[in-house]
Amino acid sequence: MLEKTGVPTQSEIESVFPSDERLSKGPVAVIECFQSIPCDPCATACPRGAILPFADINDRPVIDNDKCNGCILCMTKCPGLAIMVVDITWSQDRALIKMPYEFRPLPDVGQTVQALDREGTVVAEAEVIRVQYNKSMNKVPIVSIAVDKQLVKTIRNIRTICDTPTTATHTAIQEEAQDTGIVCRCNDLQLAEIRALIAKGYTTIAELKQMARLGMGPCQGRNCLPVVVNELSRALGVPVAELPVGSFRPMVKSIYLGDLAGYEEQGEN
Amino acid sequence: MIHIDLLIVGAGPAGLMAAKEAGTAGANVLLLERSHVPGGQLVKQTHMFFGSEEQYASYRGFDISEILLDEIKKLPNVKLALNATALAVYDDGIWAAEMDGASYTKILPKAVIIATGAGEKSLAFPGNDLPGVYGAGAVQTLMNQYGIKPANRVVMLGAGNIGLIVSYQLLQAGVEVLAVCDGSPRIGGYLVHAAKLRRMGVPILTSHSVKQAAGQGRLETVVLWELDKAWQGIPGTEKVYRADVLCVAVGLSPLSELLRQAGCEMVYVNTLGGYVPYRDSFLATSRENIFVAGDVAGIEEASSAMVEGRLAGLSAAKFLGLSTPDFNAKRNDCMTQLESLRSGHAGERILSGLAQAVIGS
Amino acid sequence: MVKTADIVIVGGGISGVSIGYFLLKYGAKNVVIIERDFLASGATGRCGAGIRQQWGSPLNCIMSKFSCEFFETAVDELGFDGDIEFHQGGYMMLVTTEKELAQTKKNVALQNSLGIGTKLITPSEAKALAGPLNTEGLLAATFHDRDGHLNPFTTTRAFADAFVRLGGKVYTNTSITGIRTSNGKITGVDTNRGSIATNTVVNAAGGYVQNIADMVGIELPLYSKRHNILVTEPVERVLGPMLMSFSLNFYCQQTPHGSFLMGRTCPDQPRDLRITADSRFPVAMAKTIVKVLPQLKNLRMLRQWAGLYNMSPDNHPIYDQVPGLEGFYLSAGYSGHGFMMSPATGQSMAELILGLPATLPWGQLGFSRFTEGNTIHEPSVV
Repeated sequence: MLEKTGVPTQSEIESVFPSDERLSKGPVAVIECFQSIPCDPCATACPRGAILPFADINDRPVIDNDKCNGCILCMTKCPGLAIMVVDITWSQDRALIKMPYEFRPLPDVGQTVQALDREGTVVAEAEVIRVQYNKSMNKVPIVSIAVDKQLVKTIRNIRTICDTPTTATHTAIQEEAQDTGIVCRCNDLQLAEIRALIAKGYTTIAELKQMARLGMGPCQGRNCLPVVVNELSRALGVPVAELPVGSFRPMVKSIYLGDLAGYEEQGEN
Repeated sequence: MIHIDLLIVGAGPAGLMAAKEAGTAGANVLLLERSHVPGGQLVKQTHMFFGSEEQYASYRGFDISEILLDEIKKLPNVKLALNATALAVYDDGIWAAEMDGASYTKILPKAVIIATGAGEKSLAFPGNDLPGVYGAGAVQTLMNQYGIKPANRVVMLGAGNIGLIVSYQLLQAGVEVLAVCDGSPRIGGYLVHAAKLRRMGVPILTSHSVKQAAGQGRLETVVLWELDKAWQGIPGTEKVYRADVLCVAVGLSPLSELLRQAGCEMVYVNTLGGYVPYRDSFLATSRENIFVAGDVAGIEEASSAMVEGRLAGLSAAKFLGLSTPDFNAKRNDCMTQLESLRSGHAGERILSGLAQAVIGS
Repeated sequence: MVKTADIVIVGGGISGVSIGYFLLKYGAKNVVIIERDFLASGATGRCGAGIRQQWGSPLNCIMSKFSCEFFETAVDELGFDGDIEFHQGGYMMLVTTEKELAQTKKNVALQNSLGIGTKLITPSEAKALAGPLNTEGLLAATFHDRDGHLNPFTTTRAFADAFVRLGGKVYTNTSITGIRTSNGKITGVDTNRGSIATNTVVNAAGGYVQNIADMVGIELPLYSKRHNILVTEPVERVLGPMLMSFSLNFYCQQTPHGSFLMGRTCPDQPRDLRITADSRFPVAMAKTIVKVLPQLKNLRMLRQWAGLYNMSPDNHPIYDQVPGLEGFYLSAGYSGHGFMMSPATGQSMAELILGLPATLPWGQLGFSRFTEGNTIHEPSVV
């Protein structure tokens, strides 16, 4: 599901959350890093060594929850903003969640903000308790909010400016039958024109260049060629790698003849 | 005619690292950057980098660019030319470039590193030439480099890392992101990026693509629809969004024209983004004095590009006879880092691609 | 693929398809064209495609007049369902030296005597016909309004389509790998897709004719050299005639698409079949053209490319059976004019191969002219 929607499942969330017992002992980091990617700054971020060393840069982080004291250092180092700190002992009925927040304006302490879940749905209101932002924090502000303890595994974001996002409508709009999309902007060639030429037997880039000036404008084929080689590949049932690609000639960028004429060099004729 | 040891084309993460490494080894380097600022994509990358400490993980792209630039500035034998575009390679080994205010200058380098990066792929669909249909890179440039809010309401096409990251940055800029869609049944980018969007309330529609973009004179409406297993649209599944920008992030394609012009042997490798040069494991192409690094050698992350840049810088220095005593240690370090960056699940595609493009050693 | 053929033509450029068409038109059967890549993939697809009748030798005048008149009605004659884009905006030859002027006057007289209506015009008349022209340093010009230029790709298709409609067979992506002979006679060809038994092979392989001749151990008195062209971005039409000058060393046309296409003869061009990019050409070309057409300094060059001129010792083609090998015909050595002369090439080769009476003076274009001292002088070649 995560790979399809970008939202972790409840069991995935549970898998990275510390035990209730550990949660009851005070602040602790929760790292929602579910994918093996080449990234390791968190592993060296913790001065207490609570994030275990990586054997490989693609390792997923593992926290020694007993060593973690819920400071914010790893949060400011994580490029994926995947770390938050939760403290269910913060008050009688409310938990404190510290999270990186890269939006402006930053909320004010005491402000009431919307608390959102992992799909961006508003699930509660939250009070801003603290806003940390200084030079040592790697340009990552940390906002601490107080929320209902029951929602500690649900809330993952805040919204300070409250407006309702627009959703899609389902009314169809008029279709323009002629337009199949521009492939070559320099010479105004539609996808349908390219397909027609291919169907006629012009099955190489070089022939399409000759017959339609494909790729012969100022962009030198940078825009159209990647699209057209795939069209050719599909039409011919031949992998792109096996298609001849034609020649590439100076100039990479067009140049005024007057500027060329102004070039002086010994021995030039 | 400019005579130089090493010409490096592109001052992105790969080119900057290459210049630093070859410059440190003593090569006279000319580093061409077509933009007015060095750093390539780094300058508009406001997010923290993945990877490891050696590749500046946790730093934001624009900060890394500054760090690398500071290193380059310490090397008097490295000249960085801005607003400088390589224009051509001729059969006599002469290169032409627009640089130093001159529209056309000839350069005869002893060695060359191509670090031109990648360009965005386009997609053909009805209405794809309406104003408001932009590449994600363009949107990111407007927003992060020039501070211009590029849109009010955006639909993002593509759930790879670029689509996900740019969507998030659009949200940061106060733009409403109506949906992120991707033709693939799975999210292609890092799931932590996807999670960041989802918890902001942005839907991610996998197995969906654009059916049509429409509007009077500019984009007003985007129609998405669900795709079947053969990637064909399913009638009746249309969703209509009123958007002023449709952002296209359907992948990158290596900018390899100069390699083609130079006569380097090329191969099409889908998992590397398109046509890439055959190269050995130390990044030498089939033309003995031409090396490659970064996305032009195959689309990967900026972290790999930086290490490749360093490796190509070392290889070019060695080719120029400028081998330093710690050459082997440095090269081994690069190889180890690359191996590590490509070792995980995400690296499988890259490795399978490299298996088709890397020959000899 | 067919197993036998009466005639196998090697090369699917403009000459090969024209020869094929004229052979079938005059009654040949079972004619096959073998093209190693695709039609017009060699020099044809890279050429300037200018069509002129302004020459200094009677032979070239006659051959080019025949060709130009053919192109005027080619769409109908060939039954083509497309456009060969014959832009008859005329050809204007610019004269800048006294010596050139003297030769030009002779040429115009010759052309007029052969029914070609070229006019010698003043610089101001030239300016009236070609608005952007800088007439500084111009002594005179010649103009013939029926000259012009064509689209080489669609023109090749027009011939090829007619050839196929008349029963010819075209095999593209097919390479000749060997030529079979027996007792001094052609017996067949081998290709990467099979062999064809035949007694007649026409070598029309353009820049690569020697590679084909090598298969039967014959050395031709020809060589191929690189010729460079560049093209600009398209703009609205501002130039009607195709411009050319021997003394200024250039030709330039504005294509129907709007782009300006131009070339010149460059020194020290490789003769090893390379068609790579010359580093000296774009600057030299630009310097020339902005003098002649100053407005073009504000036009951007998009691309340069190169193709092969197959050169003969006297800059005229060879249309002949190769001495010592019966059934092996050669049509090559056009020296840069193969495209514009292609109808004459087809007509001549068909007459030669089929033993028809000669309606064109191709008899002068055999191998024997080199051994018998009858080479042809053409004073008007770029």
